[in-house]
Amino acid sequence: MLENLKIDISEIDKIGKFTKQEKEFRVKNLDFFNEKGLPNKKDEDWKFSDLRQIVSKNFKKLDLKIEGSKNENFELIKDFDHNHIMIVDGRLNSTNFQFEEKEKIQIKKFLNENFKNKRERNPLVHLNHALANNGYFLDVADNYKFKKVLVIYNIFTKNLNDNILNIRNKIKIGKNSELHIFEIVINRSKKNFFNNTFDTIDLEESAVLKNICINNEKSSGFFHKFRKNRLLSNARLNSFIFPSGPKFNKIDLEFNLEGKNSECYLHGASYIDQNDHQEIKTRINHLAPNCKSYQKVKKVLDSEGKGIFQGKIFVKDIAQKTDAYQLSKAILLSENSEFDSKPELEIYADDVKCSHGSTSGSIDEDSIHYLMSRGLNRKEAIKLLVNGFLNEVIETIKSNSLRKYIQEKFESGFYEYKKH
Amino acid sequence: MKNQNIDSIQEYKYGFSTDIENIKAPKGLTKKTIEFISEIKKEPKWMLEWRLKAFDRLKVSKEPNWQKPKFPKIDYQDLYYYSAPKSMKEKPKSLDDVDPKLIETYKKLGIPLNEQKRLSGVAVDAVFDSVSVATTFKDELTKKGIIFCPISEAIQKHPDLVKKYLGSVIPINDHYFATLNSAVFTDGSFVYIPPNTRCPMELSTYFRINASETGQFERTLIIADKGSYVSYLEGCTAPMRDENQLHAANVELIALDDAEIKYSTVQNWYPGDKEGKGGIYNFVTKRGACRGKNSKISWTQVETGSAITWKYPSCILQGDNSVGEFYSIAITNNYQKADTGTKMIHLGKNTKSKIISKGISAGKADNTYRGLVDIGRKASNSRNYTQCDSLLMGNKCGAHTVPYIKNKNSSSTIEHEATTSKINEDQLFYCNQRGLDQEEAVSLIVNGFCKDVLQQLPMEFAVEAQKLVGISLEGSVG
Repeated sequence: MLENLKIDISEIDKIGKFTKQEKEFRVKNLDFFNEKGLPNKKDEDWKFSDLRQIVSKNFKKLDLKIEGSKNENFELIKDFDHNHIMIVDGRLNSTNFQFEEKEKIQIKKFLNENFKNKRERNPLVHLNHALANNGYFLDVADNYKFKKVLVIYNIFTKNLNDNILNIRNKIKIGKNSELHIFEIVINRSKKNFFNNTFDTIDLEESAVLKNICINNEKSSGFFHKFRKNRLLSNARLNSFIFPSGPKFNKIDLEFNLEGKNSECYLHGASYIDQNDHQEIKTRINHLAPNCKSYQKVKKVLDSEGKGIFQGKIFVKDIAQKTDAYQLSKAILLSENSEFDSKPELEIYADDVKCSHGSTSGSIDEDSIHYLMSRGLNRKEAIKLLVNGFLNEVIETIKSNSLRKYIQEKFESGFYEYKKH
Repeated sequence: MKNQNIDSIQEYKYGFSTDIENIKAPKGLTKKTIEFISEIKKEPKWMLEWRLKAFDRLKVSKEPNWQKPKFPKIDYQDLYYYSAPKSMKEKPKSLDDVDPKLIETYKKLGIPLNEQKRLSGVAVDAVFDSVSVATTFKDELTKKGIIFCPISEAIQKHPDLVKKYLGSVIPINDHYFATLNSAVFTDGSFVYIPPNTRCPMELSTYFRINASETGQFERTLIIADKGSYVSYLEGCTAPMRDENQLHAANVELIALDDAEIKYSTVQNWYPGDKEGKGGIYNFVTKRGACRGKNSKISWTQVETGSAITWKYPSCILQGDNSVGEFYSIAITNNYQKADTGTKMIHLGKNTKSKIISKGISAGKADNTYRGLVDIGRKASNSRNYTQCDSLLMGNKCGAHTVPYIKNKNSSSTIEHEATTSKINEDQLFYCNQRGLDQEEAVSLIVNGFCKDVLQQLPMEFAVEAQKLVGISLEGSVG
């Protein structure tokens, strides 16, 4: 039982040696964190995910230092050609850009250079500011289009045991450049661990990023990711998230549409079972005219799974001609599953088209009946319908090889079907 | 020339105040004030104790601050908690005994209080400041066994009913303003419909805030016994005043087996002037409990007034097969702020709820829909449908939607949709082309936008509400 996480200032020195400025920044942020501790349901943003309770129930301690140094081998995906970055327990391990022009790409260990102190809404961001010691920085030059997809292997090893990782990554894509990323989480640890990531993604004018992230392996990992996306004019960001596996997973995405005509899309599909807890929180800030945002998040909940969607669309008064859409849909398969949602609109411009929808319910009995009358048994009928429900999201992936790969991964993720 | 006309219409139509000497309780929120109120109302001891219990709770309770519109700090010690027109010292025996000035005020408001109004079939329990002045149609209601009287009278004459139900939906340890009301409420309506009775007319109360610096704290309690039906209208107008006036009413509805309550409100209190000065703070707690099987509670509201409105008429659907409905139009103009919505708590099996909310924001106003739909583990086969649409006029106003949706039951279905848009240029053009000017066209389109809600209102209200929608928005386009 870990009642409330408090971290001693001496831990900062154990991470590494820092300049005076950076040290001050880290200490200040640790103070901010210790003041509030882990967020609980009294925080509006954590209303449906009481992290303090979840952590205290599942952890006896949370160590910063990882014991053990076993090396493990991982097989690369063979289904399609790709560049890759390998991250092991948050550390940048190896990179390979064999299909690209090397001088256009820069990759290094992430170093924070922004030491502005300000109060964050999310205490875990303070924690990350204070203790981040790993991560990568990927910089793509102007006018460069990647020839092959970049796969980021995010590996969590057996060395993890009641550890907390604070990881910080940054991706910057130059003007008129284009990059497709496929991020895959591979989990070898059987023990509990907590991963706290802070990502920054910057898209310069007319840059394009397609980002697919899959975290589908069953694990006792507790994941929290805060990702801040910034889009300048005419930039386009297309995100797919498939976050089904971990015991706890909260993905907090902020999209700042700062330049005119920028567009962002978010597609999500997940299957949540056992007593997994998953939350997707989005905030789309329409800060310039003529921008477009589109969100579609689908969840299937089984056993004691709990799914949450909190999405907010904010439209500033100058952001006229905004087109914003948000849809969250959930299917509850079990008596003990739960779906909570809070789709919010906050709009200050009048010439806009904003809408959201949220539905939750059971599978349509008529559809099940239809399939059963064609010879399927109930279990198969449900599986087919669930598959169809989630596949609608996956089908929007254009690349054939990637889509196929994800579909296979996804189907193998439906564990508990036998029950029905 | 035309604009001038519009300006004069748009000024608050009911902005006059009557000079009547007032009896006031000592200023400030103290035990003494509560004892004074209780004494002047000739309340039994248990009622005073109940009030004091709420007062004790108030000492540790804090004002809520999660709402979107913030308000300047209220000095609760600087308010009068009771004021009554002087002529009420001795209760009038008939309408002739009522202060003619009061009658005049009501005439200006068009309240049907004398005989000819009988034809319109409306029984009126008029609240002038804090004391009910006269209640008509009592005989007809009494014949059917229906009790419709001021709550102060009910406390004396029907203590069993009041004791049993008062505070059973809104407990005295609820949020700050509800507790404040429990401690200092002065008057309001009490309705009891006996089993298997259909109330033959629409019951109606006009509330009216008159004396300056007086917070109004009505308490309404409506009980629909098994198999009964009642439709209740609440309409509000207030004279023009510069100081902010606090209004914290509590409304409790209880529907037993197979009973139905329909509660309609038109709220047109003083919204403050064009610069946002003055206006009423409307912090109302309305809650209905569908206690019995197959019971139904339906809230309909048209909110056009008040500087700040916080209002969430809610339904607790306890009985199996019970139904909750919420229809709302909220219009904000100038510096008005409205944060309104509903809570539908599904506890019983096969419960159904429907929410239709239309928000219209103009000028520099902010309009928020905030709602909760909660389907509990045991509420199998429950159903909710929510639709909230917002209309924005101009780029200095805001429209917000904050729904909370919780589903813990796999056989239940929740659907929620929300849209935000502005008035369609094509529709405006079409209307203009057919000879309607800009104002008329906007009024027509907005009325169309609100149609789903307006048609839920009883006839008498629907006409008034339609006019109100037009008046509230005049001068906001162009």
